[in-house]
Amino acid sequence: MTPPQASPAQTPSSTVSTQSAVAERLAEIVGERHVLSRQSELLVYNSDGLPGYRRQPKLAVFPGSGEEAVAVVRFLAKQGLPFVPRGAGTGLSGGALADDIVVIGLHRLKKIISLDVENRRATVEPGVVNLRLNKHVAPHGLLYAPDPSSEAACTIGGNVAENAGGPHCLKYGVTLNHVLAMTVILPSGEIVELGSKVGERDGYDLRGAFIGSEGCFGLALEITVKLTPKPQTVRTLLADFMSVDAAAHVTSAIIASGIVPAALEFMDGPTIRVVEDSIYAAGYPRDAEAILLIELDGLEAGVAADLETVRRVCLDGAARNVKVARDEAERMKLWQGRKKAFGAMGRLAPHLIVQDAVIPRTKLPEVLATIHAISEKYGVVVCNVFHAGDGNLHPNIAYSADDPAESERVHKAMIEIMRACIDAGGSITGEHGVGLDKMGYMEAIFSETSLNAMCELRSVFDPERRSNPGKVVPVHACKEWRAVSGGRLRIAEPPAEVHEPRPLEAEPARPSAR
Amino acid sequence: MSTQAVVSAVKESVETASPLRIEARATWLDAGRPVRAHKTLSLRDDSGVVGYVPGDLTLTVRAGTPLSEIEQVTREHDQWLPLDPYGTSDGTIGATLATASAGPLSASFGLPRDLLLGLEFVNGRGEVVRGGGKVVKNVAGFDLSRLLTGSWGTLGVITEVTLRLYALPKVDRTFAIALKGSEQETGRVIHVITESALSPYALQYFSRPAVRALELGEHPVCLIRFGGNDAVVRAQVNALSQIAKPEETESEIWTRVRQLDGSAHTVVRISSLPVQFRAASARILGDDVGGIYVSIDPRRGVLRIVVGGEDANGDSGTAAIGSSVDFHESQGVIFEKLPPDIWSAVSPSVVSDPLSQGIKRAYDPRNILNPGILGDLM
Repeated sequence: MTPPQASPAQTPSSTVSTQSAVAERLAEIVGERHVLSRQSELLVYNSDGLPGYRRQPKLAVFPGSGEEAVAVVRFLAKQGLPFVPRGAGTGLSGGALADDIVVIGLHRLKKIISLDVENRRATVEPGVVNLRLNKHVAPHGLLYAPDPSSEAACTIGGNVAENAGGPHCLKYGVTLNHVLAMTVILPSGEIVELGSKVGERDGYDLRGAFIGSEGCFGLALEITVKLTPKPQTVRTLLADFMSVDAAAHVTSAIIASGIVPAALEFMDGPTIRVVEDSIYAAGYPRDAEAILLIELDGLEAGVAADLETVRRVCLDGAARNVKVARDEAERMKLWQGRKKAFGAMGRLAPHLIVQDAVIPRTKLPEVLATIHAISEKYGVVVCNVFHAGDGNLHPNIAYSADDPAESERVHKAMIEIMRACIDAGGSITGEHGVGLDKMGYMEAIFSETSLNAMCELRSVFDPERRSNPGKVVPVHACKEWRAVSGGRLRIAEPPAEVHEPRPLEAEPARPSAR
Repeated sequence: MSTQAVVSAVKESVETASPLRIEARATWLDAGRPVRAHKTLSLRDDSGVVGYVPGDLTLTVRAGTPLSEIEQVTREHDQWLPLDPYGTSDGTIGATLATASAGPLSASFGLPRDLLLGLEFVNGRGEVVRGGGKVVKNVAGFDLSRLLTGSWGTLGVITEVTLRLYALPKVDRTFAIALKGSEQETGRVIHVITESALSPYALQYFSRPAVRALELGEHPVCLIRFGGNDAVVRAQVNALSQIAKPEETESEIWTRVRQLDGSAHTVVRISSLPVQFRAASARILGDDVGGIYVSIDPRRGVLRIVVGGEDANGDSGTAAIGSSVDFHESQGVIFEKLPPDIWSAVSPSVVSDPLSQGIKRAYDPRNILNPGILGDLM
């Protein structure tokens, strides 16, 4: 493990007195039981869905209303104190970690403020859980399209911060495409409206800039989202293949056919067998080297025709079998295996590394072959389970972090895999965010001037860089920031390449497919 | 023309303190507020495909590439960029993105912001910046692509873009429904179409003067476009026939729709909640003021008013239409074109808020890029 670089130190006395005074003041705002300051209580908040990273917060505060959240942010602004906004903590990039600073937990802000069925939109507080919003709107024949695998736990506020995706984003788009407006409190304490609840707006797309800003631009206190009518028909197919290459080529062929499936998911042989050995067995053929889980939705007539096309493409591409789920129960079972694949990998080894690179879809066969070669070279087992339709890979390696030699091999393999994806013209993250985890790769895909432009944008929203400091863009990439580093802020720079172990259940299980 | 040439031009402008009017094909120079610049930076010649792998359904082009060229290049592979901004396809992709211009297809395929994957631009200091990437899903870094879309060239000169493409539908058919009945009957048809399971590519209603200009008859018209495989289009056409009497029309009609602006001096877009438009649509469509073309996209929630057709009759029509919409709930009145002398009275600036000012100052500290087109900072 590479230790973080030293942060500008504060004198112990000022830290202590500040901490107790700060806790007291925060307790006046939110009530004593909603402020945590004992180290033992704060342990729960020292990691997110990527528990390989640990950072201990100094304090945690949980406002119970928008007004309280405003008061908390304004108090911290007055004190010049940095903070980290946090939703459910299911993120997979280390983005919600607070290194010796204040965590503002937003999970108590869970009101669904309004639902406008006719205009298909809802306004929610940031702590509303994704799945709860979906259950709330389902009786009206509507859904909220972005469906990250953590949807049973993750919050809409967190989804906005990460610009979250999910299997169905292939057809429906990511969070960015579904958020109409936000009421945001800037780190300064000022409240701004971004986007428009009722229409379109001209001027700079500040809403677009805010979505995916990973908590660095402030906190969204109210979020108005677009709702989507439930499709008339949903059909799910399972195609199995005797080679990864064939499945990869079929993925490309389906995309090239012009059909936009609602989801197109890929699982390779090692993943299939792990799932089938687990309690999540979905009836996948154990001897297959790859399966594709393909979902089509829309109007009945169109789906039936597309189903035939997809079946033909699969069979022409050497699929052994193409099975269509006969009913909802069978469909759920097929999805269950995909959803719980990460959990099932717990059978292989105690720790797991997950990546999130994206590659051009035509490069799938080539990059999967490269990944295989890399895994052989380092003697590690890579389980590929990912959003193939988007080219969004999730190569996972299960291993034991207690074995230093194995850890070393695993991390070298992961770095090579990431390089292969970047070389293929891809991106370092499709939906998990940069956070701490991928900051070391930012310079591999963005030039100095591009990173600086990102720093400048951030400085407009948060001139003092107090909101989620030290994330997304490496501090040294920001011209202006280098000149004025230090001061009262604690900005710890994380290691460029992280060699921290990654325990299991990284991707919280999703109970049911849509 | 290359990115480097743009860098040189911007740097020279910074040094000589001479602001730039950024343009490409100059097809839409009368849109936006007057620009205070004596020099022009033209991207007209910075055109062409940089990268196109049809199997990826992504396309990277230089910003000066005309939409017509993108149409042509992608059509060879049965693909398209479903972006149909008002005006003609002589306009460039760079201008389309810079102005966030969108047409009838946007209710189904999204606005320009939704189709843009990544871009390269030159900021007001002459630095080359890239945002996003070339893959269809990407959350690496802060979202400069969205920031630049709709910034009208004031934050940077867009030089290259990567776009998401779609496969051309196997079938693409357009139908017109003449709304001949009473206001009440028109309202009923609009309601039924909206509540139906139909999933058209485009759906627009036009007022009488617009219909005349489109040579579609004498009554308000609903234009509806279906695309997809044969089965899905046929099923929808059948369903539509249960609701009204659709008559098939050639898809060329959409080109004419995009060109309704023609010589208009005023184009205003009013956006509101879709339901509000539905309620007011029948009434608005009944208005018949010469030279004022109204189109309504009920799904997008946008009413577009074009004033200044050849038979224009002053601004009274705009006022009449305005009175039909409840502006209290409609915060989105967007002016696309106005006579130059009234901009400052009607809409002095859309970038006067502190965040927009801060971004402008960071990206173009000397205010040399299209100064004034979105209004002044303070």
